[in-house]
Amino acid sequence: MSAQTSVPILELRGITKRFGDTLANDGIDLSVDAGEIRAVVGENGAGKSTLMSILYGMYRPDSGEIFVGGVKRTFRSPVDAIAAGMGMVHQHFMLFPSMTVAENIVYGAEPTALGVFDHRAANDRVAQMSDRYGLEVDPRARVADLTVGVRQRVEILKMLHRGADILILDEPTSVLTPLERDALFRVIKLLADDGKTVLFITHKLPEVFALSDSITVLRDGRVQSSVSTSDATPETLARDIVGSDLTSAPRPEAAIPGYRVLDVEHLVVRDEFGRNVVDDVSLTVRRGEILGIAGAAGSGQRELVEAIAGDRRVHSGRIAMADTEMANAPVASKRKAGLSYIPGERDDVGLAVEASVTDNLLLGSESKPGFSPRGLIRPGKALAHAARLIEDYDIKVASQRQTPAQLSGGNRQKLVVARELHLAQRLIIAEEPTRGLDIRSTEFIRGKLLEQKSYAGILLVSADLGELLKLADRIIVMFEGRIAGELVAGSAGESEIGALMTGVASASAGGGAADD
Amino acid sequence: MIDLLRTLRAPFLSVLGALAIGAVLMLATGHDPLEAYAAMASGALAGRNFSNLAATLARATPIVGMGLAAAIAFRAGFFNLGGEGQLVLGGLAAAVVALTSPFPAPVTLLASIVAAAAAGGMYAWLAAFFQIRFEVPLLISTLLLNYPAQSFGSYLTNHPLRDVPSGMAQTETLPAAVELPALVAGGRLHWGVLIVLALALVIAFLVSRSVGGYHARVAGLNVQFLKYGGIDTDKLGYRVMFLSGAVAGIIGSIQVLAVHHRFIDGSLTQPLYAWTGLMVALLARSRPLGVLVGGIFFAAVQTGGFGMERATDVPREISIVIQALIILLVAARTRFEFGKTAGAGGAA
Repeated sequence: MSAQTSVPILELRGITKRFGDTLANDGIDLSVDAGEIRAVVGENGAGKSTLMSILYGMYRPDSGEIFVGGVKRTFRSPVDAIAAGMGMVHQHFMLFPSMTVAENIVYGAEPTALGVFDHRAANDRVAQMSDRYGLEVDPRARVADLTVGVRQRVEILKMLHRGADILILDEPTSVLTPLERDALFRVIKLLADDGKTVLFITHKLPEVFALSDSITVLRDGRVQSSVSTSDATPETLARDIVGSDLTSAPRPEAAIPGYRVLDVEHLVVRDEFGRNVVDDVSLTVRRGEILGIAGAAGSGQRELVEAIAGDRRVHSGRIAMADTEMANAPVASKRKAGLSYIPGERDDVGLAVEASVTDNLLLGSESKPGFSPRGLIRPGKALAHAARLIEDYDIKVASQRQTPAQLSGGNRQKLVVARELHLAQRLIIAEEPTRGLDIRSTEFIRGKLLEQKSYAGILLVSADLGELLKLADRIIVMFEGRIAGELVAGSAGESEIGALMTGVASASAGGGAADD
Repeated sequence: MIDLLRTLRAPFLSVLGALAIGAVLMLATGHDPLEAYAAMASGALAGRNFSNLAATLARATPIVGMGLAAAIAFRAGFFNLGGEGQLVLGGLAAAVVALTSPFPAPVTLLASIVAAAAAGGMYAWLAAFFQIRFEVPLLISTLLLNYPAQSFGSYLTNHPLRDVPSGMAQTETLPAAVELPALVAGGRLHWGVLIVLALALVIAFLVSRSVGGYHARVAGLNVQFLKYGGIDTDKLGYRVMFLSGAVAGIIGSIQVLAVHHRFIDGSLTQPLYAWTGLMVALLARSRPLGVLVGGIFFAAVQTGGFGMERATDVPREISIVIQALIILLVAARTRFEFGKTAGAGGAA
């Protein structure tokens, strides 16, 4: 850091924010100059979103100070932040779909004539701004009719109209096509040339190098490094993001993989805009192995799992469970074919949090022999079933009539895991099985998954690289809906995975992708 | 036991609160609430040979029945507001079968009730079909389907099936043998009371013990959870709505076969059985046995209101105010409890 002649436009000193037991931001210092494009990178949960929310007045820091243009500011709400010249473009746009582009852009600072909204002035103003920054939009178009890329332009114009000097873009490319992304980058450079400051949050390292002047890496709520982009390489950056304290722990003996329990071939899944969110993915899971899936959030792994285990529509390609075609099959057929599924959305999907523990553990077993002769559930059988799982999985409940809403996160997840693994016959899909859990519950659930390798094949999706390295026999890395590479565990290093996750490297890198 | 007490606390407090506010209203208008409530209690429960109690139970029959119909759907998370239409079609079907059946009376009686269940059930099924196939919100379709059903009843009683000599919009009297007889000759209690009691017990049993009841209970709490488990929630929706409508239809047939002995236009809708039943289902949080108790209570408030008006100069409208207050208080409590659990879930 050389001595600076001018005052930084934005400076953060010792920003700390705690949520319960979690330290989301821990003494963050950050200094950005006017006209600078700063990339903010880090893993999920590194504290990026919390920091940006603080900058935009949505959270108040527990301690620390914010200076804008050398003046100390306190943001009680986004209104204060906007007044200080901050503007934020969220991942999910905040627009009124039924209103026009111009109406959306001037919202909050409308031009009026005789106290009435002046449409012509609004349209003119928007046309002028759109010319100046190369942000092509039709002021009269209805937002509902626009593509995602254009909606994003509207969001940016809205911020500029409010007089924002510092723009925060939260993963702005995650919803864009490559062409739209290139257009966005040109706009961002124009804005920076015009003296605007841009904070750019991303998971994707190629974008960092294509766009930014400087990089701040957050890890575990702290600033890991702050460097000029010209001093960084993809390798140093990937190491900073993932951290060097991750080591692949000693692994259980590699099991001899058995028959195929899941075959996915050239799978394509589209989102509501017709984009391929899962793009030509092929993979195989065999009995006796854990196949890990890594990838930055939004790389298609969630849609992949929904297509395999849920009722998400498959556009093309095959999904076969034990040689039975299951693409677009009802969930009931998949379950019957021996699928167990530990969903990422534990409370919304994996449990009925207001139903009793007994009822939560019963799902999937209620029609099994002995449970419900003549369609009537035997209460004793259901209770015994629950009692056994509670015992086996060491779930802390006061009574079986308690509801999951009354239990801790770890015990709720144990309910899901207990029920699903009890049903397990062939294929287990586990999505973020230990997210948000304490160390004891995490270790317990990991141990249970490893146990199941004797009976089933497991597909493990996790944002936690340490977890994948610890449990998986092979790891597939997804990037932008595609398989960026496949690694054999043991030989895989975290920086290698990091490079694949962020799109720096592609193709099946790593030591020997095929089974030996 | 503690669970039971906790479940009963909210409705009990709501009832108490409503009676207290009712008392304040009476005081404010210069009436003696103690005297009025005493008159209400006696009007609901006493009388010569407990005739007032019999009146209360007779009134409770359609209210409990419609409460059960609503509770079946609500419990599974389906907002069936079409009880009124399903009730009317049930009554019509029963009357038409009873008037036209060539079979002996006992067979006709049974056929009338079955036809009523089928008519009510199919009408509710239709709303489920609209929701599942065309995403028409159930709340809207069931509500709107009430009107064609009522109009159809008016049309039949005004034109093809009109009992012309009577000069009223009603069908002819049903054959005397085709009726649900009184339990005690000349009394107001009839076999329909027992049918509704049996329905409450059977539904309570099925909800708590059957596989379908388990699915319905869980669907009402989180339908995504059921889908995730591979349960066909569309099929569940059709079944639940059919059953809900079928119960409403049976209640229609009971009123026609046991009380009016003909279909009279407006006789099923004007006393607001469906809407009172709906309130009872809310009060009882869709528990069938709770509906039984709550329905009798609401009926007692209504018949007691008549007694109160006769014995004091407090207008019986106060009983309607009390009913409404109970529901408002229940709704307020539900919101409060919802906020509490959401907070607990978020903090954990």
